[in-house]
Amino acid sequence: MADADLVDLAVDVARSKGATYAEARYERQAQESFILKNGVLDALYSGDDQGIGVRVLVDGALGFAATNLLTKADVRATVDAAVKGAKTSRRKTPIAFAQEDSFVTNWSVPEVKRLADVPVEAKVAEIQAVDREVMGLGIKVPARYFQLASNRIEKYFANSEGSRIRSYSPRLRFFYFLTVGHDGDVEQTYRNYGWSGGWEGIRAWDLRNRVLEEARSMKRSLKEGRKSPEGKMDLIVGPQVSGIAAHESCGHPTEADRVLGREASQAGKSFLTPESLGTRVGSDLVNVVDDPTVEHAIAFYLYDDEGVKARRRYLYKNGRVNEFLQNRETAAVLGTRSNGAARAVNYNVEAIVRMANTFVEPQDHRLEELLEGVKFGVYMKSFMEWNIDDKRFNAKYAGREAYLVEDGQIKHPVRKTVIELTTPAFWSAVDAVGKDLEFEAGFCGKSDPGQALDASLGGPSMRLRNVYLR
Amino acid sequence: MEDLASRIVKKALALGCQDAVADVVTNRSYQIRFARNEPVISNRWRETTASAFLVHSRRVLASDIKDLTRTDEAVERLVKIAKASQENPEYAGIARGPFSYARMAPDKKVLALEDGSDHVDAAIHGALEMGATECAGSFWKYEEEHALVTSNGVRGRDHRASLYLSIRALASPEASGHGIAAGTRLSQFDPARAGRKAGRVASLAKSPKLGTPGKYAVVLDPLIFGALTDQVANGLGAWTVQAGLSPFGKKIGKRVASAAVTIVDDGSSDSIARKRFDAEGVPTRRNVLIQKGVLRTYLHNTTTAKRFKARTTGNAGLVSPQPHAVFLKPGDWSKDEIFEEVTDGLWLTNTWYTRYQAYVTGDLSTIPRDGIFRIRKGEVVESWKGIRVTDNLIRLMKNVVALSDAPEQMMWWGEVSVPNFVPYALVKDVNITTSAE
Repeated sequence: MADADLVDLAVDVARSKGATYAEARYERQAQESFILKNGVLDALYSGDDQGIGVRVLVDGALGFAATNLLTKADVRATVDAAVKGAKTSRRKTPIAFAQEDSFVTNWSVPEVKRLADVPVEAKVAEIQAVDREVMGLGIKVPARYFQLASNRIEKYFANSEGSRIRSYSPRLRFFYFLTVGHDGDVEQTYRNYGWSGGWEGIRAWDLRNRVLEEARSMKRSLKEGRKSPEGKMDLIVGPQVSGIAAHESCGHPTEADRVLGREASQAGKSFLTPESLGTRVGSDLVNVVDDPTVEHAIAFYLYDDEGVKARRRYLYKNGRVNEFLQNRETAAVLGTRSNGAARAVNYNVEAIVRMANTFVEPQDHRLEELLEGVKFGVYMKSFMEWNIDDKRFNAKYAGREAYLVEDGQIKHPVRKTVIELTTPAFWSAVDAVGKDLEFEAGFCGKSDPGQALDASLGGPSMRLRNVYLR
Repeated sequence: MEDLASRIVKKALALGCQDAVADVVTNRSYQIRFARNEPVISNRWRETTASAFLVHSRRVLASDIKDLTRTDEAVERLVKIAKASQENPEYAGIARGPFSYARMAPDKKVLALEDGSDHVDAAIHGALEMGATECAGSFWKYEEEHALVTSNGVRGRDHRASLYLSIRALASPEASGHGIAAGTRLSQFDPARAGRKAGRVASLAKSPKLGTPGKYAVVLDPLIFGALTDQVANGLGAWTVQAGLSPFGKKIGKRVASAAVTIVDDGSSDSIARKRFDAEGVPTRRNVLIQKGVLRTYLHNTTTAKRFKARTTGNAGLVSPQPHAVFLKPGDWSKDEIFEEVTDGLWLTNTWYTRYQAYVTGDLSTIPRDGIFRIRKGEVVESWKGIRVTDNLIRLMKNVVALSDAPEQMMWWGEVSVPNFVPYALVKDVNITTSAE
């Protein structure tokens, strides 16, 4: 790979210009996506994105520069820009990186059917078949929006400590957004699925059944849905709700750069502090994990973008804050080691602390068993509107598909059930965790310039006792 | 650059394309991020990219070409993909040129700025002076050059440069404020003022108590009002309306805001998003979107304009129309008069995570962040925390009672996606909710 020579050159030049640490990352992203809007192929995109990003530590200050101009002269100029940025920094507190092992290795995600071998017309036909079936349901669906995207990511990472890591990561994503109408009222929904691997992912998702089932449930909600009960009651949440709570109310507040204030101006801070490790945030049953090594999950990786080996992290364990997500910079500040959470969305941005595949660890209850214990409450299978404050303390999830539960039985749909709870109130109310683990994909936004990064959000159904709903 | 753009267009036409657009963009932007009162990283970019839009037999394809040493091969590959795809029966072509463009030149002092450290220091010092203890944010020098060529006779060049700084100041872990500085000329750029604003709000926000749900008269600071007007402008893209992602469908000619609200999109006026032309090369211009509360037009490119029996508004993106810069017509109230009008209400300074229960209805919630204040007769009587605005976009805009007379340029991470020139706004009956314990 000629571009690998440029990466190695960048590291060498940076060292020669006074960098105490230097790293360079080449990325090539072969991106293809299309939108099928109301049955029409609206926006086909095909891009071949590539370039090199260089990060240096000079006199305790960080500089980063990036270019897509892949000549020796341009790479040298890019290193100069990174070094200049660090040297002109007025930082007084020196930045250090936690000591980590170096690796010389290759890793890749296998594809049963290579994404590159599937022509765009076959991909479009696959999604059009789903669209036709939706239209064949006899349901009023005035707006349908489907997006299929693939990205084949090649990377070569080198640093001044001897790491040389090549990787290949093919990814497939599917997003849909549906509007269903009935008697002048509407419901809207969106779902996001992700896959690391080849075209076989399209079968693993079972898109046809998922989309049709969703459209039917929207119609039923419009036709039969009643006002959701208000007050304190039991709540069963489905995997989609567990997944967003894992991501927003556990993953984000345990990002060490937030805890330390590095993202304070944009993505915000955290209700946790460096002293929060070991403090209780939920019941003993709550275990939330972030794991880059989950096979086929959209954010699968074996080494992060600082060359640190990936591993499973227990963020909340038995209801207590167990571990923060770390990169080398935050780990040095907190006197620990990186746990391999540094990622960048592309070559042209620095790697920062990011979640990968974040999920509530499943336990042993079937959904029926969770329901059996509920005398009166709500089963919120999925949500639509949601948000959370920048400290990740006050969250809201408004139900999309939800049902009344009486004496352990699922009754009629209820509409717009609202959970508006603090993070500890949510996790402390969990008294049973199911085994039906499911993942959805998301774009997790953070940093400036914004890095909307692949992430998985997952969990099983969970039962929460005596929470306020409206 | 222009030669490269021409080469891409010519190659596409030679391969049978009917329409082609190439926009070669050189990005020389520079950024300093800071946190805990000092820089955390300096970022610099040296990139040249060709954005391409190709149409073969009504089969439409967009791309970004990064390897500019092999553009012919890239176009061959793209045309092959386009040919294999499907017709877009709604596609209605690209604008026919040539066009003449307004003269716009970037400020030489902005172009010459090599180091933004003084601006970062000025912002931080401004905040600390007002009582803040911790600051974080970003300084940006944006610089882009565009060379755009289309198969319909358009040739345009544009050199854009601007300065931007965003600062969040904290006076305690739960007391924060935010300030924005932006300008196309160095003389307009006042990071110290942004820092003082952030620091002043942070100091006022100390010792917050949990807010109380209810309906309130609310003074919206330009940053949070800009987040709402940004939602409006993005919801007015014709493509967005078609996709069911907007509450403004079938509302042309209808009231969607109070008579106090006139919203204009204008990429040609001075803003940090000022540009000479849109992605089809159509000259940017002033478009009145909402006039005295009545919806006048959506944002269009050539294709959506035909679909809606309208004319392009010069807002083409590669696929969908986008706002350039949003201007609220200022009111005739002073800022003080707006605050004094509130006998018992709230003052909100910023927000984030605006999310919809249904885009087509506009039912949403958004979470105020930074200073949240209970005000009586214009005076801050309490600092609050933990509230959420749970309301409806159109209802909020219909409930605008008054606007101040001095709009400010707001743009902020995620929530204000393009420059919004917005004043202080007084909105009645805003629904506030809180989390249950």
